[in-house]
Amino acid sequence: MTNHYNTIIIGTGHNGLVAAAYLAKQGKKVLVLERRSIIGGSVVTESFGENFTVDSVQTGGTLRPDIIKDLKLSLPTVTQKPDFISLQPDGNHLILNEESIKRFSEKDASRWGEFVRFMDKAASILDAAYATIMPRLPKNMSLRDGYGLLELGLELRLAGRKDMLNFIRALPMSAQELVEEYFESEVVRAAIASVAIHNSTLGPMSAGTGYTLIHNWLNRGGLALTPTPLPEGEGQRVKGIGEITNALANAVKSFGGEIRTEAEVKNIKIENQIAKGVVLANGEEISADVILSSADPKHTLLKLVGAQDLPPEFVWHTQSIKMRGAVAKIHLQTNGNHGIPEGTCVVAPSVKYLEKAYDSAKYGEISEKLYLEVTTSENTVSIHFQFAPYELKNSSWQVEGSKVEKLAIDTLAVYFPNLKSSIVNRKLITPKDLEETYGLTEGGINHGQLMLDQFLFMRPIPGWSNHKTPIDNLYLCGSGVHGGGGVSGVSGRNVVKVLK
Amino acid sequence: MFNLKTTPFHERTSALCQPQNWRKWAGYFVVGSYEHVLDREYWAIRNAAALIDVSPLIKYIIKGKDAANLLHRVTTRDIHKMKVGQVAYTGWCDEEGKMIDDGTVSRLDETTFRLTAAEPNLRWLSMNAVGMEVEITEVTDEVAALSFQGPNTRKVLNKVTESPVDELKYFRLMKNKIKGIEVTISRTGYTGDLGYEIWMDNKDALKIWDTLMEAGADYGITPVGILAMDMARVEAGLFMLDVDYTSATHAWIEPQKSSPFELGLDWTVALDKQGYFVGRRALEKEKREGSVWKMVGLEVDWVGMEKLFKQVGLPPQIPGMAVRGSLPILSGNVQVGYASTSTWSPLLKKYIALAHLQKPYFEVGTDVRMEITVEHHRQHAPAKVVKLPFYEPEWKKK
Repeated sequence: MTNHYNTIIIGTGHNGLVAAAYLAKQGKKVLVLERRSIIGGSVVTESFGENFTVDSVQTGGTLRPDIIKDLKLSLPTVTQKPDFISLQPDGNHLILNEESIKRFSEKDASRWGEFVRFMDKAASILDAAYATIMPRLPKNMSLRDGYGLLELGLELRLAGRKDMLNFIRALPMSAQELVEEYFESEVVRAAIASVAIHNSTLGPMSAGTGYTLIHNWLNRGGLALTPTPLPEGEGQRVKGIGEITNALANAVKSFGGEIRTEAEVKNIKIENQIAKGVVLANGEEISADVILSSADPKHTLLKLVGAQDLPPEFVWHTQSIKMRGAVAKIHLQTNGNHGIPEGTCVVAPSVKYLEKAYDSAKYGEISEKLYLEVTTSENTVSIHFQFAPYELKNSSWQVEGSKVEKLAIDTLAVYFPNLKSSIVNRKLITPKDLEETYGLTEGGINHGQLMLDQFLFMRPIPGWSNHKTPIDNLYLCGSGVHGGGGVSGVSGRNVVKVLK
Repeated sequence: MFNLKTTPFHERTSALCQPQNWRKWAGYFVVGSYEHVLDREYWAIRNAAALIDVSPLIKYIIKGKDAANLLHRVTTRDIHKMKVGQVAYTGWCDEEGKMIDDGTVSRLDETTFRLTAAEPNLRWLSMNAVGMEVEITEVTDEVAALSFQGPNTRKVLNKVTESPVDELKYFRLMKNKIKGIEVTISRTGYTGDLGYEIWMDNKDALKIWDTLMEAGADYGITPVGILAMDMARVEAGLFMLDVDYTSATHAWIEPQKSSPFELGLDWTVALDKQGYFVGRRALEKEKREGSVWKMVGLEVDWVGMEKLFKQVGLPPQIPGMAVRGSLPILSGNVQVGYASTSTWSPLLKKYIALAHLQKPYFEVGTDVRMEITVEHHRQHAPAKVVKLPFYEPEWKKK
């Protein structure tokens, strides 16, 4: 039987490929199915024209080092962290380092080291939690769950009581409260707070943005986004985050796994609450012993499985997962004279400014005063736009798309007057596009908002935090599961442990 | 302030309710008994024709392409096997296979069903209808219902219906007319006797009542309250939500919940049906492993009870109506279960109870003891586990 696999993985995002690579390495007969013609999911570098190749969705992040090691991926480690720059109208930009902070506040500069130490520590604690598969509360814990938690407990004990307490205290805090405890300069505060709301539909005054700050810090390895370097001797290609998924795909193939593109899964075949295989959009049926979905939980469960095969409470919880995408991406091809410095640049003048930007999203409006995060790669400029809510009040994305593009460019042009004249080509990705092209339900890049009621054993939904679903042999392995959100690949690796 | 509603028959029932014995039922006032003692009403069920206002029954109309799919998913019956005009008694469970409620499903046409329930279930039904083309409408307040029970009911109905009900089989329904008024008549009830339930528009309620009362005069038609029906339903081995079991949605603790197997509803759980239904996994498991509890019939030994009363110089004393109170059941000196409803059966001349017993005491023929109160003292009368129902006349299904 050629059309039967040990494991089918839905989606070639980093998590799907991480899972596939581990399983293929174990000798499993693995097939990865991708809807699009290119692999990568949100971790993709793609071309929108000649000399216009960009990281279209995720613009930075790295896999966990242990995954790179386990899978022997040819991904060089980044040695030099880029700058994190908060743009100032007078051109006196703040770079988040002690020296630059000094120009805004001597006192803040003196506390910078202490803050970084705390954040690194907090990120490492969160990392340990993410690496641990959460028990299915409030169900009875299994012995294996208990063992994992025991390990986590020991690790946290080693973190020290004081740091642990500060970490727990920081999670429910707002980013504003957290940065105010350390810094007096509004510019410094806002710069850091912007990272807390990145990819979240929350404001820096929202409870729980202490957690999202730590999460993003962990995934970025600090504040700035790290571009993916090219493997040595491959200087010809345009570098980008797609290197990560390419390296993973190569690993899958080298271990004997198969990857098929333009193979959209229409639905998962289920008999008596047991997953038996998948049906592709073209009608082809492929059977498998185990199916992993790296698509988001809402898409997987409500579309690919369907409510009719799931328990009512479970359906209700799944419907209730908060996706709330509010990110648009504007990619610009320029003649190279955009004038934007290398690194991660943000438009985040004050905490209140960011909060007001978020306010619009609450009411289904596009922020007039917006939070931008900008990265460049040679002649291209990638703008991350918040807030552009998926659900627009009294309007649609067909109507509002051009408005977002204009707002982003106008806002950025205040800081870089040459930008407008340098633009050659542009590519807008609205929350609707994120859903339709990249399969992110409601444009939710993290497959479900990172918030305190949607993390640890409550992710993706309470009682189902261990990758399992009410359908036997169907597992979730995308960012919507505990550990997910970001490019770490930890959910893709954790699911393999559950399968054992 | 919350006010109880009155049913569409209130004008008639209130004029007849001598003792002002009113009971609350699903937000309505209904007559508990029309007379000070229940005997005449009880015997009307068993020997003549009892007219019972059951309008407070919660009713849903489930309509649409997926109506059958929804009920197939929610209930334990194989709804796809139901023919138009068929009625099925069923329970429905949560995902752990514990009963939420029970009622009847009537297939009114290919894509329209009526579901009755003891308690509101709209949210549960809606939660189960995600992705389905189906409309769920509660019609409790729009549809009046009369339960017409007793061996003479067929004759009375035939006098007033446009088409005779002779061919109407047990658990089937028909559309019919009474004095030109459209009604649905189902061969169903809550007494275990020959009987029908008549479903009609609120506005027609009094006319139907009057027509039946007039036509039934020579057949001993008697308005009957729910207390007499309560005695009859115990004889018929029929249980009641919140009396004989607790809905899984209301239970405070796990042991308060019951599975359909534990309530003796094995025959309603179609584990061989196609596809997912709520609680399937748990019910399959329980079927495999066997149930720990079971609801059974209990007959108290009269002679044994007489002895206990004799010790204090009294003849046996039995309440004159069904008792909805929990009574401990012992084997030796260990409690092995409890009776949830007990009643004197005037017809069988026996003190009977619906009892929940632990394995292995639920086997028919097992000797146990049930608590009785003898002159303020708790005593335990010998009793035997028997098969349900206690009473099943040959004309019930004929």
